[in-house]
Amino acid sequence: MSYLGSIFSGFKTLLTGLGITGKEIGGKSVTELYPHVEPELPEAFRSVIQLVRFEESGSHDCVACMQCVKICPSTCITIEGGKIEGIKGKRASEFEIDFALCSLCGLCIDTCPTDTLEWANIYDDAGQEREWVYDLLKPHEAFEEQYLTTRRAIEAKEAAEKAAKKAAVAKAKAEKAASEAASQEASPEKSDTTSEADS
Amino acid sequence: MPRTLLDIFGNPFIATGVGIGAVMTVLSINVLFCIWFERKVSAWIQRRLGPMEVGPQGTLQTVADMVKLLGKQLLTPAGIDKPLYHLAPLIIFAPVVASASLLPFSKSVALSDLNIGLILVFMFGGFAVVGIFMAGWGSNNKYALLGAMRSVAQNISYEVPLLLSALSVVLMVGAQGGGQIEIGDEVIQLNGLNLSHITLAQTSGLWFIVFQPIAAVIFFIAILAETNRAPFDLPEAESELIAGFHTEYSGMRFGLFFFGEYSNMFIGAMLATVLFLGGWDGPLLPGPVWFFFKSYLLIFVMMWVRWTFPRLRFDQLMAFCWAVLTPLAIVNILVTAFALKVVNG
Amino acid sequence: MNPHPAPALERAHDDETYYLNMGPQHPSMHGVLRLLLRLRGELILECDPVIGYAHRAHEKMAENRSWIQFLPNTSRIDYLSGMIYNLGYCQAVEKMASIEVPVRAQAIRVIVSELNRIQSHLLWFGTFLLDIGGITPFLYCFDDREKILSILERVTGSRLTYSYGRFGGVSQDIDDVFIEQTRSFLTRMRKQAPMYHQLVHENVIFRKRCEGVGVISREVAHDYGITGPTLRAIGVDYDVRRAEPYSGYEQYDFEIPTRTGGDCLARFEVRIEEMEQSCRIIEQALDALPDGPVKPAKFIKKLKPPAGEFYFAVESARGHFGMHMVSDGGDVPSKIKLRTPSFSLLSSMSEVLEGTMVADTIAILGSVDVVLPEIDR
Repeated sequence: MSYLGSIFSGFKTLLTGLGITGKEIGGKSVTELYPHVEPELPEAFRSVIQLVRFEESGSHDCVACMQCVKICPSTCITIEGGKIEGIKGKRASEFEIDFALCSLCGLCIDTCPTDTLEWANIYDDAGQEREWVYDLLKPHEAFEEQYLTTRRAIEAKEAAEKAAKKAAVAKAKAEKAASEAASQEASPEKSDTTSEADS
Repeated sequence: MPRTLLDIFGNPFIATGVGIGAVMTVLSINVLFCIWFERKVSAWIQRRLGPMEVGPQGTLQTVADMVKLLGKQLLTPAGIDKPLYHLAPLIIFAPVVASASLLPFSKSVALSDLNIGLILVFMFGGFAVVGIFMAGWGSNNKYALLGAMRSVAQNISYEVPLLLSALSVVLMVGAQGGGQIEIGDEVIQLNGLNLSHITLAQTSGLWFIVFQPIAAVIFFIAILAETNRAPFDLPEAESELIAGFHTEYSGMRFGLFFFGEYSNMFIGAMLATVLFLGGWDGPLLPGPVWFFFKSYLLIFVMMWVRWTFPRLRFDQLMAFCWAVLTPLAIVNILVTAFALKVVNG
Repeated sequence: MNPHPAPALERAHDDETYYLNMGPQHPSMHGVLRLLLRLRGELILECDPVIGYAHRAHEKMAENRSWIQFLPNTSRIDYLSGMIYNLGYCQAVEKMASIEVPVRAQAIRVIVSELNRIQSHLLWFGTFLLDIGGITPFLYCFDDREKILSILERVTGSRLTYSYGRFGGVSQDIDDVFIEQTRSFLTRMRKQAPMYHQLVHENVIFRKRCEGVGVISREVAHDYGITGPTLRAIGVDYDVRRAEPYSGYEQYDFEIPTRTGGDCLARFEVRIEEMEQSCRIIEQALDALPDGPVKPAKFIKKLKPPAGEFYFAVESARGHFGMHMVSDGGDVPSKIKLRTPSFSLLSSMSEVLEGTMVADTIAILGSVDVVLPEIDR
C-alpha cells in the first residue's frame, strides 16, 4: 500500500506544481520589451560622470583642485587647469575621464569640494573601442564665454562692492577718528583705552 | 473506412509522391508553429513576453531562426566517424515522415490504411534511438557520448510501458461490440492494430481514456520519455551535458535534429489522440479539426509539464520506468483482459 | 594538449575510465570553474577542481592603493553579496582606525545587508533549480529579486556593485519611499513563500534529486573550514552575526536555522529559512530606525590606521568572510588577506563529489552555492 501511496502522493505534488505554473498563463508579464520601452531610472542612478551646470553661473565650477584625480582608484581622470585672466582662482581647461577604466564607484563625486561632479542619467551608453575617453568640458564649451563674462561681472561687482565697503569703512573710521579727536580734548583718560583697542 | 491516397490516385508512385509532399508540408508547418508555441507557452508561464519582434506576437520568429540556421556554416569537428556523423540527422529525420503518414486524421481520407499501423508507428519510433546513438558515437565528444548512452537506455526502457499501455487499448478494440462495427450498410471486422479501426471503435462509444485512465497516463509519460521531453530530457540535459548528443552539430544539421524532435512530439501527441482521445471523433466540427485540436492540446500539456518540473536523475529515471510504470502497465493489462473476459463472456 | 595539465591528468589511463573536463566553458558551471573528472560511465571516481580563470589580483591591488581606494574592489570580490563585502570592509577599517559610526548608518547597513542576503539567496535558489532542470522557478525568483535590486538601485544607484559604504557611514540616506518599498517587498516575499514551497520543496522530483545527495560530514566541514548555510545544514549553529555581532546585530531578535542532514535538501531548507529570518531582521531594523546623520560631516578620504595586524569578519550570504589587514601606519595597506567562504566550499568538493553521478555534481555544486570570482579574487 505504501508503494501505491507514495506514487499517488508523488503525482499529487506534481499536479500541484502544474496548477501553480498553469495559473500564470494569461497573467501579466513582468518584463518589458526593452528597446521599445524606456526604463525608469532612479534619481541616484550611476552611469557616466558629468559636470554640473550651475544655474547662477551658467557653467560648471571645476577649480582643478585635483582632489578627484588623487582619490580615483582607477586613475582614469585627467585634469588640467590654470589661471584665467580676469577671474580669481584656477579653472579647468581640460577634464577627461576614460570610462573604459572607470568603475563608477563615485568617490570623485563624494570628494569634490565644489560639488561640480554628478551622475548622468544615461543607461544605454556603449563603446566599441578600447579608448573610451569623454571630454567632460565639451558640453560646457558653449557657455564658457558667457560664464567668464558673468564671472568677471560678478567679480568686478564684488570688487567694487568691496572697494565701496572699504571706502565706507575708511570713511567711518576717519569720521570716528575726527569725532574722537574732537572729544579727546574733553576726556584724555578715555582716549588711551580706545587707541589701544584700535591698535 | 477512410479512402487512402492509393484509392484516390490509383497509381502507387503518384500516391507516394503526393503523400510525402503532404506529410512534409504538415510537419514543417507543425515544427514552425510548435517552436513558436513552446517559446510563447514558456513565456506565459514564466511571466515573460516571449518572442515579439518578427511578425505579430513574434509568430514569424521561427521562420527567421530557420533562415539563420540555413545560412550558418556547417562546422565539422575533427576526429569524427564520418559516415555515422553525417547520416545521424537523416536517420532521425526519415522515420518521422514515415510514421506521420500512418496516422488517420480523418474519417474519409487517409494517407494510408494498414492493418499493422500501430506496430509500424512503434517500429519507426524505435529508429530514432539508432540515429541518436550514431550522433553521439560519431561526433567524438564525451558529452555527446554520455547523452547518447543515456538516450539508448532510456528509450529502450520506456518502450516497454509504452507498448504495454497501448496493448490494453488493442484489447479493448478487439472486444468492442463483439469485434464488429456497422458503418452505414457496411460491417467491419475490427482489427486492434489498425489505427483507423481503433478510432472507429471509439466513435461508437466512449473514448478509451474513460475505460483506461491508468494506461492513458502511463502512455503519456512514456511518450514524454520517448521524445526526450522534460522532465525526461536527460540525453540533452543542458545543465549537465551541454546539448547531449547534438552538441557537435551546427547549422541545418542541428536544425534537422530539432525538426525530428518536434515532429516526434507531434507524432506522439497524434498517436495518443488516436489511442485514447477518440481521434477525429467530435461533434459539429469536421474530423481533422478535432484531430489536430486534440493533438495540440496534448502538445500544450507536454510543454506545460516541461516548464514546471525539474529533471530526474538517470538512475531515478530507470527506477521510475521499471519499478513504477512497467508493473502498473502489466497489472493494468491483466485487469483489462480479465474484465473483458468477464463482460463479454 | 593542455600546456598546464592538472595533477590528475598525469596519472595513467586505463580502459575502464575516462577523463571529462567539465568547464570552464560549460553552460551550467558556476562562473568559470573547471572540474576535471575521472569517470566510469557516469560515476565519478575522482574530481579535481581547477580554479583561477577569474583571477583579478584583488589582494595585490589592495597593496597599491589607499584604504579608501580599495573600497570599489570589495563589491566586486563576490558580486552577489557585494553590499555585505563592501560594508564589511568599511566596518573593518572603521574598527581599525577607531571611527565612530552613527546609529542610523548602522541600522541602514543592517537593512541593506539583509536585503542583499535575500537577493543572493534568491539567485542561488533560482540557479540551483536551473541546475537540476527546473527553469520556471528560476524566473519567478528573478522576478522577486528584481524588486530588491530596484530598491537598492534607488538608494545606491547601482544594481550589483554597490560601493555604498563610506568610512564612518553610508554614501546616501534612505527615505520614506525606500522604507515603504522594503516593507511591501517583505509582504510580497512572505506571500510568495508558500508558492515556492509547493512548487519546489514539495515536488517529488526535486526531493528525489536532493534527499541524501552530496552529504558533507562534520569531519569534512571541520577539515576544510566550511562555514555559512552549508555548515548550518550539518547542524552547527555558527553564524558571525551571532558569534561576533557587528553593526548592532546583537539588538535584533533572529534565529539561526539549522538542519542535521548535511545533504542538498538540508542546505536548501536552511537557506529558505534564512530568507525569512532576514525579513525579520529588516522589519525590526525598520521599526526601530533611529534619526540622525548617516555619515561623518567631513568626507574621510585620507586615513592612517595605527600600525599593526587586525582581523575582522562578517557573515556573507555564503559564510564567514574575513579580512586580515596589516597596516604600517601609512595610508596604503601593507597587506589585506581575504578569507572567502566559497574557497573552502569548493576545496571540499574533491572529497564530496567522489562516488556521485555526473548529474549529482551539478546539483551539489549548485546547492553549496559557490561564486567563482570570490574564490579566484
